[in-house]
Amino acid sequence: MNHDERPPDDLAARARREARALLDCVLGVTTVVIATPDGFDIAHARRGVIDAARIAAMGSSISAIGDVVSQEAALGFGSSVTIETASGYVVVRRILRQDRELVVCVVTDPSAILAQVAYGTARLASHLTLA
Amino acid sequence: MTGRLHKIVFTGVAGAGKTTAIAALSDRPPVNTDVASTDPALPKTRTTVGLDFGEFVLDNGDRVRFFGTPGQERFDFLWHILARDALGIVILCDNARPDPLGDLCMYLTGFAESLKTVPCVVGVGRLETSPKPTLDDYAALLLQRGLVPPVLHVDVRRRVDVMLLLDLLLIQLEADLLSDGR
Repeated sequence: MNHDERPPDDLAARARREARALLDCVLGVTTVVIATPDGFDIAHARRGVIDAARIAAMGSSISAIGDVVSQEAALGFGSSVTIETASGYVVVRRILRQDRELVVCVVTDPSAILAQVAYGTARLASHLTLA
Repeated sequence: MTGRLHKIVFTGVAGAGKTTAIAALSDRPPVNTDVASTDPALPKTRTTVGLDFGEFVLDNGDRVRFFGTPGQERFDFLWHILARDALGIVILCDNARPDPLGDLCMYLTGFAESLKTVPCVVGVGRLETSPKPTLDDYAALLLQRGLVPPVLHVDVRRRVDVMLLLDLLLIQLEADLLSDGR
């Protein structure tokens, strides 16, 4: 039985750098978690005490549910989900590499500008797709 | 849409057959959120990370909706969401796993709040190849937790077995209705 292997160390290291860069460069971002599609945290950067393992599991669930909803609505492949709250945003985005899929989950505080977060998250996904 | 809606939740360990059971019951192709597994401890290459969803329509127009939970404890936040307003809970165990009774304890704890009021049935798979623990061992554990749900051997690939699980839930519901009516 062939499981997808856990991401290799060099990819995990690159993911940590990308997570840190997003946290440092985009206003209001408080947590960035990069996870396997089945919900294991492989890299994260955060301010505060958010449990990255929980966010990884939740991000993978949200991503999978978002995808089936978009397909059920005949919108095709679902690439990202945004949750808006009074206290900030959560943006979940799939990262489709040739060798494996990953999921990035970005949490912000209320100072964040959604367009900047969405752009930064897409940029991170693009970097990790090509890494 | 006519008729009432009823919700049944399937939970249990990854690989116990929740997705298969719902597929066996559903009138239409079930929705599932399976992704590639990276966990070598799992006996399968794909695993549910969101939910399974299926539905069938009863002769009276009522709709029974089936929701399957992810099995792994890291997804327990979904257990609580999916259990809301459930009419019954089916817990599937896999007797070939290293500690099936420990697995059951995890779900009894995870669904403890719901199990105070919602009928439950426990289906145990792979007993033919892994006879220990026995069904009596499961029943004894449940009794220790103050629960007396039906416990039976099932092969969820057989629709008749899955229907039996549902029948046992419905019997409990009927009994509750009758006792409430007294």
